[in-house]
Amino acid sequence: MTGLALMNCKISERKLIGFKYCGGCNPVINRAQLVQDIQRRLSAEFTLATDQSPTQWDIGILVCGCLSACADKPDFRNLARRWIIIAGNSVDYGDAPEKDLAEIVLNKLKL
Amino acid sequence: MGLKTADQYEESLRKMNLKVYLLGEQVKCPADHPIIRPSMNSVKMTYALAQSPEHEDLMTAKSHLTGEKINRFCHLHQSTEDLIKKVKMQRLLGQKTGACFQRCVGMDAINAVDSVTFEMDKKLGTQYHDRFIRFLKMVQEEDLVVDGAMTDPKGDRSLPPSRQTDPDLYTHVVEKRKDGIIVRGAKAHQTGAVNSHWILVMPTIAMTKDDADYALSFVAPADADGISYIYGRQSCDTRKLEGCEIDVGNRQFGGHEALMVFDNLFVPWENVFMCGEYEFSGLLVERFAGYHRQSYGGCKVGVGDVLIGAAALAADYNGAAKASHVKDKLIEMTHLNETLFSCGIACSAQGHRTASGTYLIDLLLANVCKQNVTRFPYEIARLAEDITGGLMVTMASEKDLRHPEIGKIVEKYFKGIASVPTEDRCRIMRLVENITLGTAAVGYRTESMHGAGSPQAQRIMIARQGNLEHKKKLAKEIAGIKD
Repeated sequence: MTGLALMNCKISERKLIGFKYCGGCNPVINRAQLVQDIQRRLSAEFTLATDQSPTQWDIGILVCGCLSACADKPDFRNLARRWIIIAGNSVDYGDAPEKDLAEIVLNKLKL
Repeated sequence: MGLKTADQYEESLRKMNLKVYLLGEQVKCPADHPIIRPSMNSVKMTYALAQSPEHEDLMTAKSHLTGEKINRFCHLHQSTEDLIKKVKMQRLLGQKTGACFQRCVGMDAINAVDSVTFEMDKKLGTQYHDRFIRFLKMVQEEDLVVDGAMTDPKGDRSLPPSRQTDPDLYTHVVEKRKDGIIVRGAKAHQTGAVNSHWILVMPTIAMTKDDADYALSFVAPADADGISYIYGRQSCDTRKLEGCEIDVGNRQFGGHEALMVFDNLFVPWENVFMCGEYEFSGLLVERFAGYHRQSYGGCKVGVGDVLIGAAALAADYNGAAKASHVKDKLIEMTHLNETLFSCGIACSAQGHRTASGTYLIDLLLANVCKQNVTRFPYEIARLAEDITGGLMVTMASEKDLRHPEIGKIVEKYFKGIASVPTEDRCRIMRLVENITLGTAAVGYRTESMHGAGSPQAQRIMIARQGNLEHKKKLAKEIAGIKD
């Protein structure tokens, strides 16, 4: 969605997107910077939500610092209809270098 | 209230009136004292990270008592996952402070007192557990720091508490009144005592009937009348009074210990959780020590992460990073550090439920964890000193570096690789010095040896829990020996 279409995107049509982090005891990636990068490049069709939001998110992004993805628990899963899991240098269990993680996530958001 | 912010925590400390002595003087405001303040900053970090979305998964938990979100330091472990998250949280805090953040001892104390008072009430018909839960609810709701106080001065180690020449060398009841008890004695090595809101006293060893007056557990406000603190000295502590930033190594964070003295302290009955039930004192010691031995598989690992990083930077700045022996030493440090973490995680994953519902670690693995902690940080520190080089202890002071004339000489001759400022090289060397033999060495080295029990205490527990008879049976079966 670009140009005029973006400007015409009504708030009610926007998708709710939320981020959840693991606790970060020994991260192999810079989680905060990655989330900033993704948020900065999000298209206008998305609205950022928090876990206090009254409605379920359309998409949740779980940001775990390492491959163990210890925060991937049923409690979190209920927050969103669909999840993208970043776990260290991987997205949805596929390996990826840190520099490409944001791009891969943004591409998955378009699906 | 739920979660306090870091600033609210500091404010709450300022409202207290602790009687603290340091370097021969009574301290007016501990939070403002340059020697004490870094230790308060470390505790503040336990509040700050709980507010951060990036860390709340480890730093907070859902109270099983109220359903509210609370700081994990106020939580009773409800699963093995809670036990694992505790260790990860401690590693995180060690990484963020490079020092002892002091709040673990209270967390370990509340978890031990919970299960032991529950079991004591079941067996003896006492009513300590309900009192304890009332106290804990307040701790959770107000997000308080509790100082677990176990270690008595102990005087002559060959004698039990009741046969000491001076009866106050073990904390004891001197009078039982209708409304409460009077306590005298002291607790030594009290980590974070001066940064705490409440103290939770526990007995120091297994007791017999003769020592019933010493089988004692209670809580008291940290600034109650009858409690005073004599602040422990740390190596290089007065550098903090010099107004320098580099020479202290870790300007922002630190830890502390103090001698806590009870001079006819009055404790109302509602705050007493054990008074004379000597047969349960050993169990309380064993469980608290077990939790605390688990703790070291997290906190020391986090500080180790900082030390390994500092040593690697020192190698970079020295131009030695590509030397194969330096790379190998960094590998060895990492191997040792992650072995400690593995032990912390293992004793948590193998934890089990107690009668009260609170989860306890696997005691054998927790003792193995702590036994390794009595050794590995020393080896990690030795390797850090090896990599960093002797300049770590012979380098000129920050005042010399800043001096208008000799500063140029210091700058010139303490230079490493051309791309790194001399000041940065000095900073990283002072950080290694701080952790290996400065103020933070109290926590990283000697506390690793003696904190949560000296090495022999773990070996006794390993002998008890080692299941040697089972191992003999295994050997007999394989060897074809029939009984």
